[in-house]
Amino acid sequence: MDEIKQISHWRLLFKVNQIQNWRRLQSAVSSSRLHAFLMGLFVVGYAWLAFQLFSKGLHFTSSFPGLGPVLIERMIFLLFAFLFFLLLLSNVIINFTNLFRNRETHFLLTLPVSHQVIFRWKIFESGILASWAFLFLVTPLLIAYGETYNSTWHFYLVTPLFIGMFVILPGVLGSCVALFLARWLDRLAFQVAAMLVIILVIVFISSWLQPEIVTDEMLETRVLDVVDRLLARTQFSLFPFLPSYWVSSGITQWIEGAVMGALFFGLVLLSHTLFFGYIATTRSGSMFFSSLSAVNSRGRKASLWCITNTKKNGQLDFKPKLLDRLAKLFWWWSKSDSRALIVKDTLTFWRDTTQWGQSLVLLGLLVAYIMNLRYFSHRLTSDFWVDLTSYLNLGACALNLATLTTRFVFPQISLEGKRIWIIGMAPLGMKRTLMTKFLFSTAISMIVTMALVGASCMMLSVSAERMLYFILAIGVMAFALNALALGLGALYPNFREDNPSKIVSGFGGTLCLVLSFLYIVGMVGLMAFTSFWAFGGSSSLVFVFGCLGFLIVSFFLGWFPLRNGIHRMSSIEV
Amino acid sequence: MIEIKGLSKSFGDLTAVNDINLSVPKGEFFVILGPNAAGKTTTIKVMAGLMKPTSGSVHVCGHNIESEPLKARKRMAYLPDFPFLYDKLTPIEFFRFTGQLFGMSESHIQNESDSLSDRFSLGEFLSNPIESLSHGTKQRVAIVSALMHAPEVFVLDEPMVGLDPHHARILKDILRERANQGMTVFVSTHQLSVAEEMADRIGIMNQGKIVAVGSHSELQAANHDNKLESIFLSLTLKTDGRN
Repeated sequence: MDEIKQISHWRLLFKVNQIQNWRRLQSAVSSSRLHAFLMGLFVVGYAWLAFQLFSKGLHFTSSFPGLGPVLIERMIFLLFAFLFFLLLLSNVIINFTNLFRNRETHFLLTLPVSHQVIFRWKIFESGILASWAFLFLVTPLLIAYGETYNSTWHFYLVTPLFIGMFVILPGVLGSCVALFLARWLDRLAFQVAAMLVIILVIVFISSWLQPEIVTDEMLETRVLDVVDRLLARTQFSLFPFLPSYWVSSGITQWIEGAVMGALFFGLVLLSHTLFFGYIATTRSGSMFFSSLSAVNSRGRKASLWCITNTKKNGQLDFKPKLLDRLAKLFWWWSKSDSRALIVKDTLTFWRDTTQWGQSLVLLGLLVAYIMNLRYFSHRLTSDFWVDLTSYLNLGACALNLATLTTRFVFPQISLEGKRIWIIGMAPLGMKRTLMTKFLFSTAISMIVTMALVGASCMMLSVSAERMLYFILAIGVMAFALNALALGLGALYPNFREDNPSKIVSGFGGTLCLVLSFLYIVGMVGLMAFTSFWAFGGSSSLVFVFGCLGFLIVSFFLGWFPLRNGIHRMSSIEV
Repeated sequence: MIEIKGLSKSFGDLTAVNDINLSVPKGEFFVILGPNAAGKTTTIKVMAGLMKPTSGSVHVCGHNIESEPLKARKRMAYLPDFPFLYDKLTPIEFFRFTGQLFGMSESHIQNESDSLSDRFSLGEFLSNPIESLSHGTKQRVAIVSALMHAPEVFVLDEPMVGLDPHHARILKDILRERANQGMTVFVSTHQLSVAEEMADRIGIMNQGKIVAVGSHSELQAANHDNKLESIFLSLTLKTDGRN
């Protein structure tokens, strides 16, 4: 007689999703071994390169007697403080879509699986999605940190425990914030609140990062005082109620041999993790269902920025609206079907609060960055540092651009979902669809990034001809990165997923990010080394070859994936 | 088996379901008809526990779907028009998963899935990944997984979508057999032929209200009309103000 063996529902969900993910990985590897090899190479290469860079940086900093250890410790505190807030934000966004806009969630709700188990599973899944990049980033840093201080073997055993507990807290808090937002804020209120928060953050950061007036005399005679004043700006990372403070204190004290102190912070972290983890995993099920029901029951109210009024005297109004007129004004040379696609994409983006919410966060950070370059440039006295900063600035802007293209352009095709045939069957055709999407995203990216680079060059007081050079360079990069993202998005579509974060974290999205990163590092390096004016200056022939190399690599990096993506979409079966 | 009392569901200013009362006894095959946006799917979603009602209650097998959701869902099955399936699993793995969620033993899962798979001609697809199956085959996989635990109440939203005539016939036969054995069947459909052929009772919904309910012959008598189509059109157009 076969006995009924009751298996916990959470374990079943874990097992099923584990099988799903493992098979996805297998199919990605078997579909292109070259890509899989490149990915593996990148993972190992990044870990090694990051470790080398962190190690060199930490050794350099620690070489300053007295000052080095203080600076390193403060950097560790700062890093974890920022990562805590970023992890929290990331968890809120991923939890929101994973809890309330996920087909698996709705499927499970109709089965005899408790709301609590569904919620527990979903926050676990969201936590992993939100945190893997963090773990990838901090691992080489912490190994380099241990190596710099010749730590004992047990440092490498204890640190993962600290990090593991640390990652759980923003995961749990992020899920609670997502529940709260879903339950209490409708779309309009959410949009207003998000705008206000972003404006407040920008104002706060701008006022917080005011320059310190430091004279040459002070730098020569009162170094510690100057350092003290600079470090005062980072005092917030020492706020003792921040989880980042507990993890940083635990790790730094363990490496110093203050085991009891480290244990104390470990226990503080553990108690909070257990307390909040217990509440989330055992007591939040009914609140989750209330929030989900609230999201599903929400009326379709007009949003704050409703660009298309649909009713006029009770009749549908099909007259061209503001967006249609703008599309016609700026896209005059295109056919009306291409413009319709642009209007549709813009409206879809605009009406998805999480999409433009993330764009605003990124733009907010960029505004704060540019505003602070103004103060930074006054400190640059040597030509070497001016040159280095201008190229690093180009790299930073390009990396931001790559983040935008990977996050927003790559999932464009996947987000069309199974409805892609509507566009594919229309006279517009797949080729023009992709080209329209490409040109539109490139135009938007160019406007944003060229303005960004121009503004940052002005803040750095870069001369006019160099500014023009950097603006043109970022324009070329915008072309290449958009074509790469859209091409790879068409080559590796995921029509089953509605969540852009999940689409991006797949094989194609990761490949896109990796290639973008390698391209930017390679091209900025090439431009810097062949520069006509910077770092001593190269000959005009070398400069021309450098520019040609940059243009050729950019063209092929964008053209190949875009061309193959168009071929793939032309023969796609959905 | 299904008791709906004063059920209302609003989405902002829109009232999708407006104070409906309905009782579907054990073993009855009940078909709900209605034009688009009549409130059928919303009613079914509340019955399936996907959202809370604005007011009123739904009891399934004597259990309130809001206060005792697990007890209710353990005894029922729900099949949406586009069911969710794990695309990288094979049908066998999916059956095992859902069977285990319902606390079925391994041998029970195997027996039930074998016999139902045979009836739905799924044998040759059982070891293929679900992502490789056609829409109709996926629909059949979802039906088998829903029926495996022998639910006492089976709620289906447009179940014939994607099914070929042969498998639509098999589904109808199985539903009829199970209803005869005591399973309550609640089907929402736009296919009037399904209602005419299968239903013990038919409910017609329009603008969030049940405007008529009864057996086919009762509806014919009440509306002095023999054809369900004209009864349906007259009832829905009349209250819709489109006549």
